[in-house]
Amino acid sequence: MVLSITEFIGHLHPVLVHLPIGILLLACLFLLLSQKQKFAYLRPVISMILLLGFLCAIATCVTGYLLSLAGEYEEGLVSLHQWSGISVAFFSGLTYLLHRKNRLVKWQMTVAVLLAILILTTGHLGGSLTHGSDYLSKPLHFHEDTTGTAKIRKPIADIQQAWVYADVVAPILEKKCYSCHSATKQKGKLRLDQADLIIKGGKDGEVIVPGKSTESILIKRILSSREEEHHMPPKEKPQLSEQETVLLQWWIDQGADFLKKVKDIPQTEKVKSLLTDLQKAPVEKKSSPMLPLQPVEEANPTAIQLLKDKGIVVIPVAQNSHFLAANFVAATDFHDADIRLLLPIKNQLVWLKIGSTPITDSAMIALSQCTQLTELQLDHTFITDKGLALLKSLENLQSLNLVGTKITSAGVLSLTSLKNLRNLYLFQTQIDKKDWNSLLKAFPKATLDSGGYSIPYIKTDTQVVKAPKTVY
Amino acid sequence: MTQKELRNQQLLQEANERTAQFFTRRHFLKESAMGFGALALGSLIGGCGFDTAGSVSTFDPAHPLAPKLPMFPGKAKSVIYLHMAGAPSQLELFDFKPDLMKLNGQDCPQSLLEGKRFAFIRGVPKMLGPQASFKQYGQSRAWISELLPHFSTIVDEVSFLKAVTTDQFNHAPAQLLMHSGSPRLGRPSLGSWVTYGLGSENQNLPGFVVLTSGGKFPDAGKSVWGSGFLPSVYQGVQCRSEGDPVLFIKDPQGMDRDLRKASIDAINAVNEQEYSEYHDPEILSRISQYEMAYRMQISVPGVMNINDEPDYIHEMYGTEPNKASLANNILLARKLVEKGVRFVQLFDWGWDSHGSDANLAIDIGFINKCRQVDKPMTALILDLKQRGLLEDTLVVWGGEFGRTPMQENREGKQNPFKGRDHHVDAFTIWMAGGGIKKGFCHGETDEIGYSAISGKVTPYDIQATILNQLGFDHEKFTYQFQGRPYRLTDVHGKLIDEIIA
Repeated sequence: MVLSITEFIGHLHPVLVHLPIGILLLACLFLLLSQKQKFAYLRPVISMILLLGFLCAIATCVTGYLLSLAGEYEEGLVSLHQWSGISVAFFSGLTYLLHRKNRLVKWQMTVAVLLAILILTTGHLGGSLTHGSDYLSKPLHFHEDTTGTAKIRKPIADIQQAWVYADVVAPILEKKCYSCHSATKQKGKLRLDQADLIIKGGKDGEVIVPGKSTESILIKRILSSREEEHHMPPKEKPQLSEQETVLLQWWIDQGADFLKKVKDIPQTEKVKSLLTDLQKAPVEKKSSPMLPLQPVEEANPTAIQLLKDKGIVVIPVAQNSHFLAANFVAATDFHDADIRLLLPIKNQLVWLKIGSTPITDSAMIALSQCTQLTELQLDHTFITDKGLALLKSLENLQSLNLVGTKITSAGVLSLTSLKNLRNLYLFQTQIDKKDWNSLLKAFPKATLDSGGYSIPYIKTDTQVVKAPKTVY
Repeated sequence: MTQKELRNQQLLQEANERTAQFFTRRHFLKESAMGFGALALGSLIGGCGFDTAGSVSTFDPAHPLAPKLPMFPGKAKSVIYLHMAGAPSQLELFDFKPDLMKLNGQDCPQSLLEGKRFAFIRGVPKMLGPQASFKQYGQSRAWISELLPHFSTIVDEVSFLKAVTTDQFNHAPAQLLMHSGSPRLGRPSLGSWVTYGLGSENQNLPGFVVLTSGGKFPDAGKSVWGSGFLPSVYQGVQCRSEGDPVLFIKDPQGMDRDLRKASIDAINAVNEQEYSEYHDPEILSRISQYEMAYRMQISVPGVMNINDEPDYIHEMYGTEPNKASLANNILLARKLVEKGVRFVQLFDWGWDSHGSDANLAIDIGFINKCRQVDKPMTALILDLKQRGLLEDTLVVWGGEFGRTPMQENREGKQNPFKGRDHHVDAFTIWMAGGGIKKGFCHGETDEIGYSAISGKVTPYDIQATILNQLGFDHEKFTYQFQGRPYRLTDVHGKLIDEIIA
């Protein structure tokens, strides 16, 4: 692709744009400062700076106009940015003239502030054009899904009854393509957010050839090597998953219809299973492993030190986190009475491995107060049903390990109120086999592991295959 | 004066004499000149702002293995890496290619050979069909061959990577690439990076243990568990499953535990004096190592002893105590992880099925290797699961490359037995536990298993994924060396998001 000379000059806009911003802001600063006698020596250079800023602003306006001709950006925002840019140029020129003629003295302060505001507004509009209007504020919404603007879709009840474009194709395009090819931005003059615009294609012509995915630019660019210049999405942006690519290919191969239902389009086994996958709830976000959502304040370092002195490992679960994990694997001489050492950190303690220590039911009184716990290993301890019942206060608990303890099904059943429980390890406990079914029913959402797996002996396990005597 | 005190005094005196010898006129000149130079340089370098913001762990020489924080909460707390050294054939285990059977015995088409280099194949080899029959298992309908009858029952616990590729077709460089991110010597191994980043939860045991079996070390030698440019305390500690787990771990005859303690205290006292004079952090490191070695004398023989395991465990793993074997090592791996060891690296040699002799034949020796690993690796997954450890433990199984769909013709001549050459374009690795999807398969190879057609991954991607599961961003986890930050994956690596649960 050969860039025309105007296009080339247009592409200089993102470089040039920083000059007037810097220079004119400096001028504003000097205008403000020079009012003080202490900085009076700055006065003579202000005219010079203003002139320079004015000239750069004009150059920036020209290149900006040429860039906007390519039409890759949202028109409304572009025109706003354009006029505010022009007014920066005009206003800075005016300020220059007035300042040179010493007509500014009284208004110096007001003019400087106005000019600065104008520059910042123009800059922000420009930033919104290139990075998206939520770019600046995005880092502040860290609890939201980082994929950003995608709206939350309802799960599809029956994929075969769904619309192939609206329910299958459009969500993929929305997630991976809209950020550069939709109403706000039209890179390569391509919009993928409306059926007619998808058919129309972009600068390089049509992007889909119905019935022939291999000849469609859309697919070709997705499939090309990530290092290639035309690869889409650009290599630093989130890529399409294999499943998404297969579904797009399938849709184009089957004629790229915008109005049919999924069931009316032939499907291979593979596509069918991929489609069925879409039926599942909006794919669960890869949750960070077992942590409460609400952040907490830092734990008392003295309390942590007391635990460390007992040989217990107590550390935050990660950098910049106040949640704590405690591990008793190397603890020496730890008894029920010492369990109170955990209480000062009960608000932070989320993972506790206290297995293989001689603690008994009386330790559970203190443990039951550590309600932030999501993961608790009590394996090979002296806990019984009585102590276990106390733990029903641990409502955040997701994983509980009771391997090698004396608990029975009655004890486990006392925990049915723990709605977050996902894994229960019950190997080598006193649970009667006949109670097992009722336990499974009592915890419909959790995985209960009875353990006791055995691997049958197969004759070949110990047989050795030997080479036949004559090989050659 | 007791004998002990007398000995201490003698040692101290000896050390003092050594120190005195050290203080020569030359030493004085050197010290004073260097001192000023070092002061100046120190402030200069400090001013340059060597940026270690990206690297997480700061190395504390006095407590090099103290537990440290990951960048983000990791799903896995420890790793067991089962490396089948020599590279097992994916075509006889996981990658079912019925079309290859149809081509059995035919000449390999030129189009497959053009521009390719093989370790041993020369001229035009013949295609070799799968030497085992396959069936689908579990809810995930994973294809597994008859050679792994036990493993086929647990396919719903693992994620397969069917399209792993590498760019090294010889064992040593390929193993180095797999474990250190570079085919050349000198980089820290995966286990070293992990213990450097996370430390160890049990200060009485090494953080990174290596166990080997199969009668031979991996071709890349001990460098595959070396610490490279990281402080040497992070290298893998090789333990033996027969005899003393660590050589010379027992006190020599006639030396009791108190005397051992006294001698270590004396050595450390001398070392502390040295440190107060020279402030070399390596001395602190050495002191802590002596102390750890002393503690390990008690703790290691205990954890490395599988005799105390109950019978049902021995039946499950197929272990025979007092005999060096892969099964014993796999059981040890479980015991070590249970005790808080961060990274257990296993190497089992004997998977290099060229067909050059019966042990390396795909239909003889290879089958025996499969029988050796099938039961214990299945037991490992189930045992970790029933103990509630699989959630936190990432298990990785694989070789350093794959094997060709062609029968090897070494230097153009037919090998005496059926075998396959080294193959870099497609092989299978599986992972389980530690936040990896259950019953999942990622990647696909072509009809004959020759090259990856989708879901292609590299050793760097696997390393990035392992680090991610432990709570590290492989692009930010760095160590400053020779003037630049180094990372395990160098400039490569992409997280295999597809297999993360």
